[in-house]
Amino acid sequence: MTTYQEFIQQNEDRDGVRFSWNLWPSSRLEATRLVVPVSCLFTPLKERPDLPPVQYEPVMCGRANCKAVLNPLCQVDFRAKIWACNFCFQRNPFPPSYAGISDVNQPAELMPQFSTIEYVVQRGPVAPLIFLYVVDTCLEEEDLQALRESLQMSLSLLPPNALVGLITFGRMVQVHELSCEGIAKSYVFRGTKELSSKQIQEMLGLMKPAVSGQQGRPAAPQDPSATCRFLQPVHRVDMNLTDLLGELQRDPWPVPQGKRPLRSTGVALSVAVGLLEGAFPNTGARVMLFTGGPPTQGPGMVVGDELKTPIRSWHDIQKDNARHLKKSSKYYDTLANRTAVNGHSIDIYACALDQTGLLEMKCLSNLTGGHIVMGDSFNTSLFKQTFQRVFSKDYSGEFRMAFGGTMEVKTSRELKVCGAIGPCVSLGAKGPSVSENEMGVGGTSQWKVCSLNPSTTLAMFFEVVSQHNAPVPQGGRGAIQFVTQYQHSSTQRRIRVTTVARNWADAQSQIQHIESSFDQEASAVIMARLGVFRAESEEGPDVLRWLDRQLIRLFMFHLRRSPFLQVFNNSPDESSYYRHHFVRQDLTQSLIMVQPMLYSYSFHGPPEPVLLDSSSILPDRILLMDTFFQLVIYHGETIAQWRKAGYQEMAEYENFKQLLQAPLDDAQEILQTRFPMPRYVDTEHGGSQARFLLSKVNPSQTHNNSNGWTQEPGAPILTDDVSLQVFMDHLKKLAVSSST
Amino acid sequence: MDDLFVKPGNQERGWNDPPQFSYGLQVAGSTRSPLTKRGPPPPAAGLQAPPPCGDPSPDQQATSPHLHGITPPPHKMTTPTHRITPPPSGVTPPLSQATSSPCGSRLPPPPKGGPCPMSRPPSGPDSKAPCGPRAEPDPQPEPDLQAVSSVLAEALEACRQNVSRQVCEDIAKRLRLLEDSWTSGRLSSTVKRRMNALTLEMKSSHWSAADDIHRSLMVDHVTEVSQWMVGIKRLIAETRNLSPELLAFSPADPVQPEPVGN
Repeated sequence: MTTYQEFIQQNEDRDGVRFSWNLWPSSRLEATRLVVPVSCLFTPLKERPDLPPVQYEPVMCGRANCKAVLNPLCQVDFRAKIWACNFCFQRNPFPPSYAGISDVNQPAELMPQFSTIEYVVQRGPVAPLIFLYVVDTCLEEEDLQALRESLQMSLSLLPPNALVGLITFGRMVQVHELSCEGIAKSYVFRGTKELSSKQIQEMLGLMKPAVSGQQGRPAAPQDPSATCRFLQPVHRVDMNLTDLLGELQRDPWPVPQGKRPLRSTGVALSVAVGLLEGAFPNTGARVMLFTGGPPTQGPGMVVGDELKTPIRSWHDIQKDNARHLKKSSKYYDTLANRTAVNGHSIDIYACALDQTGLLEMKCLSNLTGGHIVMGDSFNTSLFKQTFQRVFSKDYSGEFRMAFGGTMEVKTSRELKVCGAIGPCVSLGAKGPSVSENEMGVGGTSQWKVCSLNPSTTLAMFFEVVSQHNAPVPQGGRGAIQFVTQYQHSSTQRRIRVTTVARNWADAQSQIQHIESSFDQEASAVIMARLGVFRAESEEGPDVLRWLDRQLIRLFMFHLRRSPFLQVFNNSPDESSYYRHHFVRQDLTQSLIMVQPMLYSYSFHGPPEPVLLDSSSILPDRILLMDTFFQLVIYHGETIAQWRKAGYQEMAEYENFKQLLQAPLDDAQEILQTRFPMPRYVDTEHGGSQARFLLSKVNPSQTHNNSNGWTQEPGAPILTDDVSLQVFMDHLKKLAVSSST
Repeated sequence: MDDLFVKPGNQERGWNDPPQFSYGLQVAGSTRSPLTKRGPPPPAAGLQAPPPCGDPSPDQQATSPHLHGITPPPHKMTTPTHRITPPPSGVTPPLSQATSSPCGSRLPPPPKGGPCPMSRPPSGPDSKAPCGPRAEPDPQPEPDLQAVSSVLAEALEACRQNVSRQVCEDIAKRLRLLEDSWTSGRLSSTVKRRMNALTLEMKSSHWSAADDIHRSLMVDHVTEVSQWMVGIKRLIAETRNLSPELLAFSPADPVQPEPVGN
């Protein structure tokens, strides 16, 4: 008999779904008592090497407001060739092509092992993918050279039939023509003036010529052949574009002493979005912004050009002292929503030592599914390799990136959907399964995820609507279907359908069963996402108090101290960056972010996981800590001394050499595949970089208690932060005293 | 195997910049099982602690990180105590510097021992540690420029029938750049070797393999090759579309390369 652990794992492997509860309470009242709502983490495009797509259209329920897809939960009458929808109970005839099905000859979509199935559908002409580079030229020469090379390199990594375009900006914004012959031409825009989409298209000469005498016509559509001047197939313009990139110069406008360069990021992005808007709606397109500093002029400016005015900090924001914050955030938010409506996505590659305005610009990526990559310079391995990995391929040699995703959720009658948290926007699709209670992006049963990949994960929230004391439905299972339509990187349109079910349970009589079905990991990450979502839209301290009432103690202890909720010691841009990744990664990676992994290497035996606690820091050990954003290798005091003395070079101390090598090998595994690339810290006892480890571990031993009652070994941490023990004691008091 | 290497990151431009992996290593991916276990939870006043996040096995209850029946590495030390105070090995460490610990006593050396199974099974391709030394290049003789450029020239000639003059001229220009860089010593031997391998793949009509080599050169050696590599890329793309009879590479004969694009 499978345990719940195995059940949970099998379901995740097959369907990419992890529910907070795997037995659902049968009434609304009971469900709300559970504190953690019925919810799940869903990875729509989970990699399934064993699942070949089928080459036909899905069969759908005929009821207009249902349209659920045929799935293993449906009742089928093979003789009459009729199937009953498990969501609305409508009886539907099979299409003629299914005439040959029978009990022993079932189509794949009816078989339980195909609870997740992918369809390839042929609809309309094949649309190429589009990559539009938007490049900041206000960079130091070294950085610009590194960026030039990375962009030239990327031309070799792009899908060969993809369309590519180039916009450069500094004080002005330049849209480059990529035609193959003659002199390079470009169209220049002032960086200070906000333009409408129509104005941009007109100025680029993209509108079809208006026929005279027809007043009051709606806006003329873009002329696709004209747009082609700016977006060309990479296999045709690669040589030209390579030269063009190689000749990119730094922004020519001199920057006076004490000033920042004038950077018109807002207008540049608006031109990019406008260029794509008319001619290529709902085609896979990535706008890729490469920037080396904050926007300093025009709409969307984040800071002025006077260096003596620093860019806003959390302190400034709390004191309401951030002049440009509201206006710029609104500007980018509008732009982001327009981009999402068009089905396009925006990546931000921000490399600078100071902040670049990610706080204001983050919605561009968060709403569209684009990436945010944050680095110190374009001439670093972190940027170069992370950028290369955007174009990584999967087990079958196909690009991992997918475009133009829409996700729809259908539920059985006893459930409604409250919302989603992840890189998505609402499609405003009302219907019988939409709840009035919103959690995350709610009020809809359909969302758009303009750019996604196999690790993109959404948190979905549901509510049980059955009345108290209503009998548990016959057959006893609730069902949810996720239908994800998207454009595969090969430009094929695909539909992935996942249908899952869980048993109802009467909370009065089966409370222990419900408890045993609790998935602690999934619940922790789901609640954390809810916390981050609220923190980004509400006051911080309220969120922390709300969090304390959620009694998932160990995890919550680390979450409270994490950079997702604790903004002290991080810039607003850094907080935005960490949150961006937390709210889209899959469960395993999300857990690492809040509660880092710690592995210990010593002579006592093979490497083993150890508690994230100061007692794990010992002189004769090497520790490898993975926080997702950093990999830290910490050498204990004795190890460090041996290393300094050079024992690893001596033949008879070969085992010491291996001990030093072991964590490096494990770190390499992670470094080779993770997106984005983490920072890599090699440090030791007493080293200044050791603070990365010391700030994450539970400070069970601090300068406050190291002379006290405990005899625990380990390094005391200099902090006033509470230890886990103190935190747990406090929580216990809270739990006992609160009556709800 | 000089397409599999690791270089250190750029510590001057980015703090804690991670090491840089070659294209070959990144494509190969990882073969080891990922690190996903967590340490045991803290005890709750003598009660059974709930299973910790991430740890599927509920029976790890020890608070101390020490171990459950794991055999220690094979060496002379047999003490079961917590701390390692290895017995004197009988051979004093040859280093004369006083590696003294803060309390002034002499630093005892690590436990001695030969190679022992220290960590998890190694990953597939030969890979060195991050920040470790570069893989030593094979001591092969450097490839001949004639061999490489003759293949490229023949391919270009074959393309002239079907491909526009403009494009052919552009490719030719870049082939000249390649030759200039080669003869003036601006190309590393790794790049030369890989270009040789690329042309061999072209000769055998292994277009995907040739394309892959071009890609790995762009990723790993962009500074050296970016000016002209796009020409090679284009040449491969155009040549693979030609019908076979148009393209007949001569066998490895020492014929002079045809003058390109004059």
